[in-house]
Amino acid sequence: MLAALRDAAKKLLDEKRAVLVIGYADRAGRPALFASKPEDCGRLVYDASCRQNLAAYLGKPEVRARMPVAIVAPPAVLRSIVVLTAESQVATGQVLALAVDQDSFLGTFDAAAAAELLRAKYPALGPAPDLLERVQGLSKKSAAERAAFWAEEFTKCTRCYACRAACPGCYCTRCIVEKNAPQWVSTAALGHGNYTWNVMRAFHQSGRCTLCGACEAACPQGLPLMTLNALLDREALEEFDARPGYDPQAKPFIGSWDAQDDHSYMR
Amino acid sequence: MKTDTAAVPASAATFEPRITAFVCNWCTYAGADLAGTSRLQYAPNMRIIKLPCTGRIDPLFVLKAFENGADAVLVSGCHPGDCHYTSGNYHARRRWTMFRKLLAMTGIDDDRLFFSWVSAAEGQKFADLVNDVTAKVRKAGPFRASNPGRKEC
Amino acid sequence: MKTIETSRLTDLAQALSAAGYRVVAPVAEGGVVRLREWTKGLEIALEAVPVNSMKDFLFPRSEVVARFALQEEGGFTPATNERSTPKTVVLGARPCDAAALPALDAVFNWDYRDGAYNARREAVTIMSLACAKADEHCFCTSVGGAPDGIAGADAILRPADGGKRLVFEPLTEKGRALIPAAAGTLAEGTAATQTPVAPPRRFDPEAVGRWLAANFDSPFWKEASLACLGCGACAYACPVCHCFDLQDESDRRECRRLRNWDSCGFGLFTLHASGHNPRPDQSARWRQRVTHKFSIYPQRFKTLACTGCGRCSRLCQAGMAIAETCQRIEALGR
Repeated sequence: MLAALRDAAKKLLDEKRAVLVIGYADRAGRPALFASKPEDCGRLVYDASCRQNLAAYLGKPEVRARMPVAIVAPPAVLRSIVVLTAESQVATGQVLALAVDQDSFLGTFDAAAAAELLRAKYPALGPAPDLLERVQGLSKKSAAERAAFWAEEFTKCTRCYACRAACPGCYCTRCIVEKNAPQWVSTAALGHGNYTWNVMRAFHQSGRCTLCGACEAACPQGLPLMTLNALLDREALEEFDARPGYDPQAKPFIGSWDAQDDHSYMR
Repeated sequence: MKTDTAAVPASAATFEPRITAFVCNWCTYAGADLAGTSRLQYAPNMRIIKLPCTGRIDPLFVLKAFENGADAVLVSGCHPGDCHYTSGNYHARRRWTMFRKLLAMTGIDDDRLFFSWVSAAEGQKFADLVNDVTAKVRKAGPFRASNPGRKEC
Repeated sequence: MKTIETSRLTDLAQALSAAGYRVVAPVAEGGVVRLREWTKGLEIALEAVPVNSMKDFLFPRSEVVARFALQEEGGFTPATNERSTPKTVVLGARPCDAAALPALDAVFNWDYRDGAYNARREAVTIMSLACAKADEHCFCTSVGGAPDGIAGADAILRPADGGKRLVFEPLTEKGRALIPAAAGTLAEGTAATQTPVAPPRRFDPEAVGRWLAANFDSPFWKEASLACLGCGACAYACPVCHCFDLQDESDRRECRRLRNWDSCGFGLFTLHASGHNPRPDQSARWRQRVTHKFSIYPQRFKTLACTGCGRCSRLCQAGMAIAETCQRIEALGR
């Protein structure tokens, strides 16, 4: 598998179909590897300990300046590339996916082909059973217990924004927390600011999150961020049949509407 | 180190809910106005914030209201199909469906967060809604102590 | 020699607590080890460097530094800002955390004596626990430290008898002041302290400092910073980093001036009101981080702004490792 991945990456650089290949390095923690020379591709690896979503680098001007970029992409990252395409953050031909899953190298795909691959091979990607269990477990608790749970968790948040940095969906050049006229979200790492930050970030990902888990992996404090993302993922699917990352021309979820949307909870 | 935006007594007998309402200018605000000119009696606990359209209401405003001491929040606008800007309330509706689930997951349920469609002709509906919501919130009690996003300084 | 069985460390915590100290200790929760206020029943976790540093208790993430009350007639007057730190013991601090204190003391008493920091510093006693081993991210020995270093500590516990016992050694007045409270849990006797396994020395910080001072415009930084996504995880976890942002938050009655942590890694850290940003890209910001710690700070305060605790590289998802950067710099300098 690795030989096939490395050869494909090398070929893209040799043929100048990509200027930069971003993959995972063969070091503890699997940090990002940036290969601009074909011979660097020999160091690419992929395994279950690769937790970064490398599509997050598509927000970096230094990476955009070196497009076309090829990214080593497990299914969740393929979805991210498709979402970014649907949201007009990358144009056709600027990003190629070196698609991988745990056992095999699947080939080189542009966004449209990646979406086809996803529809064919991974049509129903969703939260893993243990993550769903986290959501369901909390749902069964009382409102007061839920409030207490999150209030406790959010005391640990230091507002380092590692979650935001790790997420390919967070590409605003000026995040809502960085706007200070007025300061809508308190920048203090205290209850009110931490609650608003984490809840709003989850909300801004609704219908867009590809469940890559990079945010939770990046959080130095071990906050259970994916619980919120998984909840919204299932709600978006059940209420609106939203499946982010399967169609590079999908309309943005929160930005669109349907006359038949549910409003049974409105008085 | 707690500060309060007003000295609200915590005892059940004297608890007066503080409810923030985000309403649209063209329907609900006009409906509230009609309730007033019709001399309908309704509870005075709701502070109304007028916006051009429910489509303008960022969920962040709701969180800000809770952060600043609201015991409950109401969001109200034009009925689907009647929006002054054609589709603002449709955009809002989709957002609220997701947002209320997210807030419920963090302990803010539908005894604290209310949504309605009230048209400019529905003065009675508005009065009834305010009375009903206020009664529910009075029953639910003060929110500050259990609000997961409460201010601590 | 005063000793205690390692397995009975919670007894020491309890004794200190009973004597009126707030006890801060490393506790395992939610899959990480975190330094937090200890309460009876919690196990003290010694297996890993905590994700947060002792800095949390001397220079908290967010604190109110001033309050202003709104007058009825308009205008504001200063209001009382109560701040009190209970007397505290950090039990089981790492020597690399304690070693940060001389660096923090220097900057918080430089051109201005920081009342908030100093009050907390005064109230906190540090009981270090010497490390028995290092992981691949530790590099204290490269920056003048050691797994059993005593810089900044008021007392130290050294593993002995194969790790089964700890030898207590007071180092300062504050450390000696712990003895009456701790006496009941400490036994008199002898134990063989073991030589800690020190991480191998990876670079010479003086060589790094020399290169940094002479190569500000080097193209090295562009490639070295490519993986960095500009979050604040490294700065916030670092026991020495101390940059902050002042924010006013107000309601109709009061304005509170808050001091919150800030990070030079953030894109807007040096953004001017004019719109100009002297560190406009991540390479400038990474250069600043390394240069501050290994060149600017030592020039000014005669101490490095890094203790080799390794938190930054342990926590960084993108794999930015400051020790590796220093190694590469030293190689460039040869």
